Amino acid sequence: MIDTRPMIELRHLHRYFGNTRAVDDVSFAVHRGQVFGYIGPNGAGKTTSMRILASLDLPTAGDATIDGFSVVNDPDRVRHRLGFMPDYYGTYSNVNVYEYLDFFARAYQLRGSRRVDAVDRVMDFTGLDVLADKPTDGLSKGMKQRLCLGRALIHDPAVLVLDEPAAGLDPRARIEVRQMIRSLADNGKTILISSHILTELAEICDVVGIIERGKLLAMGSVEAIQQQAQEKAASGAGISNAVEVRVLGGAKALGQWLAEQPEVSQLQVNGEAVRFLHAGNLEAEADLLRAMIEAGFRVVAFGSKRQTLEDVFMQVTQGLVQ
Amino acid sequence: MSSEVELSSIEVKAAPTAPARWWAAVDRAMVWGGDRLNPILVKETRQALKSRQFVITFALLLLCGWVWSILGVAMIGPDIWYGAQGADMFFGYYAILAFPLTVIVPFGAFRSLAGEQEDRTYELMSITGLGPRQIIRGKLGSAVLQMLIYLSAISPCLAFTYMLRGIDAPTILFILLYLSLGSLALSVIGLLAGTLTSEKHWQVVLSVVLIAGLFYAFGMSFLLAGVTLAELHGVFLQPEFWQANAAFLTGYAGYFALLFYAAAAQLSFTSDNRSTRLRITMVVQHVLLTGWMAWLWIWPAQGEEELPFVFLMFLGIHWWVMGALMTGESPELSPRVKRQLPQSFLGRVFLTWLNPGPGTGYMLAVSGMLAGLVTVGMALMLVKWIALWSPQNWRFNTAGTTLPFGILGFSYATFYLGLGLLVIRLLRRFTHVGILLAALVQVLVLLLGCGVPMIIYMLSTYWYDADYSLLQITNPFWSLMHVVDRSALPPEGYVLLAIVPLAALLVFVLNLGGIVREVRNVRIAKPRRVAEEDAELAAVKVPPEPVKKSPWD
Ligand SMILES: Nc1ncnc2c1ncn2[C@@H]1O[C@H](COP(=O)(O)OP(=O)(O)O)[C@@H](O)[C@H]1O
Ligand SMILES: [Mg+2]
Repeated sequence: MIDTRPMIELRHLHRYFGNTRAVDDVSFAVHRGQVFGYIGPNGAGKTTSMRILASLDLPTAGDATIDGFSVVNDPDRVRHRLGFMPDYYGTYSNVNVYEYLDFFARAYQLRGSRRVDAVDRVMDFTGLDVLADKPTDGLSKGMKQRLCLGRALIHDPAVLVLDEPAAGLDPRARIEVRQMIRSLADNGKTILISSHILTELAEICDVVGIIERGKLLAMGSVEAIQQQAQEKAASGAGISNAVEVRVLGGAKALGQWLAEQPEVSQLQVNGEAVRFLHAGNLEAEADLLRAMIEAGFRVVAFGSKRQTLEDVFMQVTQGLVQ
Repeated sequence: MSSEVELSSIEVKAAPTAPARWWAAVDRAMVWGGDRLNPILVKETRQALKSRQFVITFALLLLCGWVWSILGVAMIGPDIWYGAQGADMFFGYYAILAFPLTVIVPFGAFRSLAGEQEDRTYELMSITGLGPRQIIRGKLGSAVLQMLIYLSAISPCLAFTYMLRGIDAPTILFILLYLSLGSLALSVIGLLAGTLTSEKHWQVVLSVVLIAGLFYAFGMSFLLAGVTLAELHGVFLQPEFWQANAAFLTGYAGYFALLFYAAAAQLSFTSDNRSTRLRITMVVQHVLLTGWMAWLWIWPAQGEEELPFVFLMFLGIHWWVMGALMTGESPELSPRVKRQLPQSFLGRVFLTWLNPGPGTGYMLAVSGMLAGLVTVGMALMLVKWIALWSPQNWRFNTAGTTLPFGILGFSYATFYLGLGLLVIRLLRRFTHVGILLAALVQVLVLLLGCGVPMIIYMLSTYWYDADYSLLQITNPFWSLMHVVDRSALPPEGYVLLAIVPLAALLVFVLNLGGIVREVRNVRIAKPRRVAEEDAELAAVKVPPEPVKKSPWD
């Protein structure tokens, strides 16, 4: 009974800023223990929808629920179930790491040993215990990020909403953040995490949703989305393949020739190599190659690249908005 | 080396001595108390102890105190042994103390909220378990703490002035009490200002206005302290003095509560009920004002003619201002608010006017003023009746203009608030109208009513020399003054009394549609999930029925 109720649910969520449709009819649900990757380029509407979930902003229309409670009408009940890590740090001056976490623990009405334990647990988990006496506004980016994660965890919420927690970190710190999130998910937390890089989230997410210009374009497991994109590519349903052609001399001329072909887009000429996106199935690609040779180009290599996650992302986000 | 380590570890393990146990108890008590302190107060105290600005202000205050002590003593010279220079010295210290208390502390309160909004820590704090009232209380608490520290820094100097003679301890305490109350009120105003906007440019405008206001308050406090020092001799034994103070403090408490709740309402989330608590405060203020006025009127003033005027004027201004603000509320109720609407028949009749909404707000203001008018009417009847029994003590030549004044004032306020509300409703068709804009509309409507006939009056040669005429009928201030200014009702008074109440009635009827629409809102059920959780919480709180173990249990 309880487990059929999604922990996070967006129902036809809209948020307009003047004429900007920052979030435009987005619906999805995340169940207990799932990690939902919210992927989209900058300005897609990720932050806006996450702020609504955190009850910091109101939807223009639609509603969202956390553990069944409306973020519009019962934000007080939502707030102690939810840990929110925004895309800024929010540190205080003249406050050290311990005092910072202690303040938020108090603010969540934790008392006595429960508060002390909560602060210890979080400092331990984020590895901040060695920095307990450091002022918060003097921490490095990676440490601030950990502090923010710690603040979001201090009241042991069942749901976590993390807005680009790995943005701006060095590779090692990224991996560490990813490990922390995975271990939180293994402990039963429901997590909504955003990023503008799909590959970054591919391994830790159970489900990903791809959003652009406020619209949810695709949703499902990483494999399902990959498959979906490839099937579309195979059937030529308006989805492009990345093609690389190497030609002896006349790369520029080939570029001009290709520019006139209807299915070709995003043309790049780079020395001998010509790269482009080709909208069409494999048969159409073979026809293109023959036409190329018949037109007199000396093709030495013609490669239709295997789909990477990045390509999927590029295709999903470009194929459907326009 | 190793033996030392062992020794110390043995000492730690040894049974605690009595003082140690005592200390441990104190420690536990501190922890227990510290847990219950406001989190913001704890955080800001920690911050203040490390902040340079605080240390500098404190040091400057001490320094100024010292400098003034040395300068003052040097100027007084040998007179110090004989003269009574305490008051002059005190005035200097007062200035040194009043500046941080009336300018720095309230502005700091404003900045601390505004700064949290700029750093966006406000958002992080607002989604914790801290309620809006807790936030305001915490911020106010740290303002009070600063006040206390400044006070304690200057207190040795104040004790010194007492020893100089020329000023008594009650006067010192009285002035300090009012200075602290003033500082507290200014701090809550600063906090309210801090909640008004999170937009950068408006915050800049607000801080300029606030600083100007605070400096004005500083000047005023200076003036008041000077007057108090000069005039306040031997009043502490007079009962009237204490009555006046008690009356003032009641009013202070009422408006303080109103500002406090207004600031908290500003911080609470949009779907929450931001109005009912404020409206209850307004009604309580009304009752307290009525009570004090009745008391003053019956006992010390014994039917003094001026008091009903003062009462009606106070009440009229109070309800007009509150009405102007309430007409800015949104006519839509959120589902959350609808869950708690009054439900019973009596509740719906009497408590609906406390629900948020412009129409109910208009009704509340009008009812408040009407209640005041009825109170005065009954009081006047009572006086006539009492005067039959003891004519020598009770003056009662009040029949003349008090009631016409009250009726006219009530009608004007009903008319203008209602007209403003109609304009606001019209504007709402095109744009969003918030509380501040609505209040602005109300002020503009009133200003137009006063200004247009005034301009005609000044431009036209025909009216130029004339005194009051019915051209000014839309100017409530002049019209009311014209009615009050004499012992009997002037001829225009009868015309005013005929037209203005009718116009008020007309505007009221025009607003009736909107009011009825708001009154039709009925309570809705809680969402199932909320009811579920409430049931769970109730089950935890209420222990299950005790099991009967024996037939005698
Ligand atoms: N407060 C705001 N006022 C106006 N426009 C906004 C505001 N917040 C976000 N937007 C706009 O909404 C869109 C989505 O922004 P955002 O949710 O921050 O995207 P993301 O987090 O995916 O990068 C952008 O076009 C942005 O300019
Ligand atoms: Mg963002």
